[in-house]
Amino acid sequence: MRRLVLILVWAGALLWLFPIAGAFVTSLRTQQDISANGFWSVPREISFDNYSQAWERGRVNRYLVNSFIITIPSIIGMLTLSSMSAYALVRFRFRLNRFLYFMFVAGMLLPFQILMLPVFQLSNRLGLYDTHLALILFHTAFQLGFCTFVLRNFLRTVPVSLFESAVIDGASEWTIYRRIGLPLILPAFAALATLEFTWVFNDYLWALVLLSSDRLKPVTAGLSTLMGQFVNDWPLIVSGSLLAAVPTLLVFFALQRYFIEGLTMGATKG
Amino acid sequence: MPHHRLAPLSFLLLPLGLYLVWVIYPTFATMVLAFTNWDGISPSYDWVGFTNFERLFGDRVFWRSLANNVRWVAVFVTIPLALGLSLALALNRNVRFDRFLKIAYYLPMVLAFVVIGLVWAWIYHPRQGLINSTLFSLLSVAQSLGFDVNPAAARRIGWLGDPNLAMWSIIAAAPWQHVGYVMILYLAGLKTVNTELLDAGQVDGASPWQLFRYVTFPQLAPVTTIVLVITVIQSLRAFDLVYVMTRGGPFNSSNVLANFMYIEAFMNYNMGYGAAIAVVLFLISVGFIAIYLYRVVQQEER
Amino acid sequence: MRRIVSISLTTLLVALLAWGAAQSGLLRYNSYMSDPAPRELDERIVELFMERYPDIRVEHSTVTHEDFKQALRTYLVASPPPDVLTWFAGERMRFFTRAGLIADITDVWTDNDWTDAYSAGAQAMSRDDGAFYFIPQSYYWWAVYYRTDIYEEVGLPIPETWDEFLANCRALDAAGYIPVTIGTRFRWPAGGWFDYLNMRVNGPDFHIRLLDGLESYESEEVRNTFAHWEQAIDAGCFIDNPSSYNWQEAAEFMVQREAGMYLMGQFIMDVVPEEEQAHFDFFRFPIIDPDMPIGEDAPTDGWFISANAANMENATLFAEFLGSREVAEMWARDLGRLVLRTDIDTSIYTDTQRKGAELLQSADYIAQFYDRDTPEELADRGMDAFVEFMANPGALDRILADLQREAERVFAARE
Repeated sequence: MRRLVLILVWAGALLWLFPIAGAFVTSLRTQQDISANGFWSVPREISFDNYSQAWERGRVNRYLVNSFIITIPSIIGMLTLSSMSAYALVRFRFRLNRFLYFMFVAGMLLPFQILMLPVFQLSNRLGLYDTHLALILFHTAFQLGFCTFVLRNFLRTVPVSLFESAVIDGASEWTIYRRIGLPLILPAFAALATLEFTWVFNDYLWALVLLSSDRLKPVTAGLSTLMGQFVNDWPLIVSGSLLAAVPTLLVFFALQRYFIEGLTMGATKG
Repeated sequence: MPHHRLAPLSFLLLPLGLYLVWVIYPTFATMVLAFTNWDGISPSYDWVGFTNFERLFGDRVFWRSLANNVRWVAVFVTIPLALGLSLALALNRNVRFDRFLKIAYYLPMVLAFVVIGLVWAWIYHPRQGLINSTLFSLLSVAQSLGFDVNPAAARRIGWLGDPNLAMWSIIAAAPWQHVGYVMILYLAGLKTVNTELLDAGQVDGASPWQLFRYVTFPQLAPVTTIVLVITVIQSLRAFDLVYVMTRGGPFNSSNVLANFMYIEAFMNYNMGYGAAIAVVLFLISVGFIAIYLYRVVQQEER
Repeated sequence: MRRIVSISLTTLLVALLAWGAAQSGLLRYNSYMSDPAPRELDERIVELFMERYPDIRVEHSTVTHEDFKQALRTYLVASPPPDVLTWFAGERMRFFTRAGLIADITDVWTDNDWTDAYSAGAQAMSRDDGAFYFIPQSYYWWAVYYRTDIYEEVGLPIPETWDEFLANCRALDAAGYIPVTIGTRFRWPAGGWFDYLNMRVNGPDFHIRLLDGLESYESEEVRNTFAHWEQAIDAGCFIDNPSSYNWQEAAEFMVQREAGMYLMGQFIMDVVPEEEQAHFDFFRFPIIDPDMPIGEDAPTDGWFISANAANMENATLFAEFLGSREVAEMWARDLGRLVLRTDIDTSIYTDTQRKGAELLQSADYIAQFYDRDTPEELADRGMDAFVEFMANPGALDRILADLQREAERVFAARE
């Protein structure tokens, strides 16, 4: 019984890795080779040529830089702001406390497509359409819901006495927030940051709606241009896709522990 | 907790302001648009009352898309839940290489939907794709062994081009991405399961199934609720995979509400109609958001 | 903390500055020419322009044809919009002139004597309400492309009538070839089939009346069109699962010598490798009713300037360059398109181009294309209907009823 389960788990794991492995093998071959001989033939030659093509002629290099320009400020923004709102929701008793909290939680579950048209108009009216800033502001704002939710629940587990002693010392709320609140939140920051990195980095829809210049596009939107440029060349398209996945994979492997913490923190500490 | 007037405001001003401007206001703005015939270009528009909704409920594409969302929910709730829970149970014990196994399952989760869509579009490609190539090779071997089969037929299966297959082909790619997430949530949940109860049960001679059914699973109820809500919400939001793989085609057979809305609003210049679709999508989600909030309240009052 | 704030503020500032600095001496040009060959030419034209005007930096963004069609509306209502954009002449352009989003370039036309240089047809396609809005690039013919070597091998004549065409389908099918390839993933190639069948069966006059909402999709005439389409399906003409492929992937079947024919615009040659081009030729879509005038699809492409262009002067210079004889010749020479200027020495035409030009000259009516001649949102439903019909001819009654209901709604809303 035990053995059977193990065999199934292993078989499943290999099956799960297969699409990625298969894509990788394809990316090393040429279009002609595959369309003539099929995937299961012995490759005539192996080369990383598709990668260099996608990297330079497909401009994945530039798209990746854009992705970072969008992602990093967004994460800094959302963590900074949500730590403030979470602190306020935990520390202070005021009339709309629970209402605001609900508003943040509801926002994180919203079918975000409903925001598409007005967000486009809004960024347009503010003169932000087709700038990275529009995406940064939107990602920051939209992810505030989830970040506030997580950080608030995290902060609630902190004993009130920690804050009270500071109040007695006569510290201002901003000092308490900085000296006590922030250091306490730090572990949650790490988890949130890794998780949000993959989410923002992987966004496609909003880049589609808020950007029009090729030179500003993040790698997800760039891939669709790549697909148009090398229309029948699947090995090249797959190479580009794999390149686009490298940063999130690196973040994932380096910060795995935090990544998983972030996932479970948001969902189970509700 | 101290009572303050200005302190909460000073902390909330910036985040709340940003949130109101970019999330709350747009939500309501869409609801207003749904009652207009705005084309997204003209400087003005007319109020048309419920016309957009009336048209929507008579639109075959809408019902088709809604039905596909329901299919998506049905598959997305059952398969990842069953697989994710089973995997969590299997990997919760001491298993060799458990880290590798876990990574294998949740690796797809860090990939962008566009990447997943492209990789799966390649897998499904009739001539160069992984699946048809595999079938082709298998049939070729069978043919060389003397069986009466036609390997070329394998290259004609249009996983994304056949209206009867396209939706299921896309949906099949979704659990691939989602199972790992469910597994992680359950693994976390299993850590909180009371082992004394399990030991007591074992002493009483309960079977493993009974232990799971009456001891473990009930204790995982909070996780299950979360998984269900998140999964349903994600199914309703489904867009990227459809957009990248078929754009809802062939002839809307794989359309979903989010994609339908995107096409109407941004391709057919029907902002009002697109907004009406968004509102319906929102109303459907509200029920699930309410369940979630209810659970949050329940837990806080415990 | 303070550091985090200052870092984010600096980033914000840098982003704003970078955006502001990019505005002078600039020209933003968004193009849908994403296939390798047109893209290469498009980029070469931009480079040539920048050589002539070293003070102007052209910011050139290319997205796929399909994405472009979708994104155009957001491009145009954005502030500032891209300055110059690729687009289609005629109705598709007028949709945006009516909304006040395309710049009136009548001055450019008169200053450059384009009113003498361009054919009357091209001028009509570029005008709305007496003013000029469009810079015509070129046009091209639609025809049935076929592989000469396969035709030779199977011993087939060039079909002139519908019955001969169906007979060729059957013969190719029997010889193990895909008679007709078509890729309907993005649907519009099916629109070409509808255009031709409907024009051949009911005449171009009826066709345009239908596309203008003056005839019904449930009429006997339209049913007759679909009856012919069904004959082709029954004769085994079409490739399996056409919606698995985009048009380029479907062309690959001809390149690989697996398919015999493809109803396509001249731009099919953009994706045919040079060494294979010798095996490609085309013939006029077969005649169905000899009493009917002959209509052909020949879309005109080109450019326009946004009404709210931020760099109007540069855009005007670029427009003059794009409409020049020099650039028009490049499209004809490098991509095999047909020129719209009358002052070009047609000796630069190859035999193929001459044949294409003759095909159009001998036609009684030139249509643009299904999704250019009928309102966009109706075309969306119409092309879905055609693709669905190809997969499921038995559902014709329901398909046409749905389509007619949409047509009535769309045209009623236009009143």
